[in-house]
Amino acid sequence: MELITGENISILIFFAGFSGLMLKRNVIKSIICIGIMQAAIIIFFLSSGLSPDNVPPIDATGLQNVADPLPQALMITDIVIGIGVTAMALSLFIHMYHQFGTSDWEKAFKLRKDSEE
Amino acid sequence: MNNILVYLVLFPILTGSFLGLLKCNNTRKRKILTIVTIFIQSLLLIGSLYVLTYVKDFGTTAQNIGNWPDFIGITLKADIYAVSFVLMSISLFTFAIIYQLTENDIESRVFSLLIILEGLIIGIFLSNDLFNIFVLIEVATIVISLLIMYKKDTISTYDGMLYLLVNIAAMSLFLFGIGMLYKMTGVIDLTGLKDVLSVFPDKKALIVPYGLMLTAVCLKSAVLPLFSWLPHAHATPSAPSAISAVLSGIYVKSGIYLFLRLQNVFSDVFDTYYLFLILGFVTAVAGFMLAVSQKDIKLILAYHTISQIGMIMMGLSMNSESAYLGAVYHIINHAFFKSCLFLSAGLIISAYKSRNVYKIKGVFKNMPITATACVMAILGITGAPLFNGSISKYWISYGAKGGWAEYALILINIGTMISFIKYSGMLTGNYDSTLVKISKKRSVPVLILSVMCLLGGILSEPIISFLFNVQMSPNLLDYLEKSLLFFVSLGIAYLLYRYAISKVNLYKIASRLELGFNGICISMGVFFLVMLLYIRIFAM
Repeated sequence: MELITGENISILIFFAGFSGLMLKRNVIKSIICIGIMQAAIIIFFLSSGLSPDNVPPIDATGLQNVADPLPQALMITDIVIGIGVTAMALSLFIHMYHQFGTSDWEKAFKLRKDSEE
Repeated sequence: MNNILVYLVLFPILTGSFLGLLKCNNTRKRKILTIVTIFIQSLLLIGSLYVLTYVKDFGTTAQNIGNWPDFIGITLKADIYAVSFVLMSISLFTFAIIYQLTENDIESRVFSLLIILEGLIIGIFLSNDLFNIFVLIEVATIVISLLIMYKKDTISTYDGMLYLLVNIAAMSLFLFGIGMLYKMTGVIDLTGLKDVLSVFPDKKALIVPYGLMLTAVCLKSAVLPLFSWLPHAHATPSAPSAISAVLSGIYVKSGIYLFLRLQNVFSDVFDTYYLFLILGFVTAVAGFMLAVSQKDIKLILAYHTISQIGMIMMGLSMNSESAYLGAVYHIINHAFFKSCLFLSAGLIISAYKSRNVYKIKGVFKNMPITATACVMAILGITGAPLFNGSISKYWISYGAKGGWAEYALILINIGTMISFIKYSGMLTGNYDSTLVKISKKRSVPVLILSVMCLLGGILSEPIISFLFNVQMSPNLLDYLEKSLLFFVSLGIAYLLYRYAISKVNLYKIASRLELGFNGICISMGVFFLVMLLYIRIFAM
């Protein structure tokens, strides 16, 4: 059994990203971790429909042995969404930083509580 | 049917995007905005009613976009539950939009985002393809976080950021689950998935994707350890009340709806009904405990949504036909009374310029129409006889007969009453300072909503048969017994509140239970692991 496959690697990367979400208190790092998770998902999808003897469907004759196109179509959508989400999160972060003056979740949490009182 | 399902999703999204271009700086443009939004809403209402009658006559209808064969392209599928949810969300959006139109200074951006969100929610209800659901939810998350931090003040920026990142992290788990499922089964269409899973040989391999997807769905529908984001998002001080009503009344239901669909697909493989019965109960109890301990009226309502979600989840997981239908009917009822409560709370807040439940007094004297609507919605949510809540709670407890869940439901209802006894404390009493004048027409949509709460109770039989094609009439004797139970538990709740709960300072304890971003992520990880363990040991 082969250990270093696309799937195993992507599971590792995914949970590495998730542990970053659990442990890191910096907002920017959280956004980066979500990006890492997204990259892992893309690797997983692409490698799930792929075998080493697949050929790219470039010329009209080579359509017999191509990889499963559905995951690729899904991942193009996911890449677009990922860009949108990251851009959105970063721009929201700018507003949050203007309001709180910190990029630390815990500090912002405390400041929010104080301003509520 | 020629393509009407597609237009039902696309039409609000497209028109909503163009609506944002309209500037409403004078009365004429304001009129145009009013006419355009009402026009869009009435078209959608007519469309969804047409689909409903079609589905009732000809059964479930599906439409493959781009004419791909089944299970490859995106499919929109309208079954009886999906269509009634669509009808519910369109009518509630109409009320929220009318309410928002009567606001003093309005911006077309809010309407643009609201109508886009409406299209996305309709899409979530109709879509039969897991990846399509993921895309729609992701876009809806972005739209909602824009709506939450619409005013960009200190509190709302934090709330919007927390909402965005927590939900996107959860949806990443969901997408990873989809990927694993696709790798094993080769389909992501819900109908196709159900067919494949019923004969799938390797059950053990399905545990991880199922756990991942359930974790995401439970976060979306705010089950016990994963609800810390919800009160922030639904009760941000600066967000307009129409948005809180839409989020708490309708959007949260899309999580529950996803749960319903997912459990349906996986019901042949894993049996997790008992786990969600318990989780629903714990969620409901925690929800009302936290609701009682708040002093901000919007927060009381937001925490109360969690408690009702727990109850709906219990109803869905009882493995009984009538409880299931009761829970689905309760989803619709909850949408009505919770939006009514949020909208009336919005009126009260803008009149009193305060959100503190102890400082607001004498709403009945100063704003009689709003207070009446508020009382009717409270009667609905506590399940008073003749109101809509009583019917759905009757069916849920009918399905729970004989088990511990029957008593659990009574306990939850007492908790609901306690939190609303606290809430209705602001209706009576005297208030000396002057109020901001609120024009009468603003309370009209709220009043109509509250009347619908009453109609949902009195006309429950025709409504249920209209929406779900089932004849269900409550047994009169049982119903009277339940009504008696209502008054007994109301008495108990009053005594409990008066002599025990109002004496303890719960606010301090409750505010310590609140989780930050990392806390929510850790609880998400723990929830996932517990889920895996439970499924491995008990549910196979």
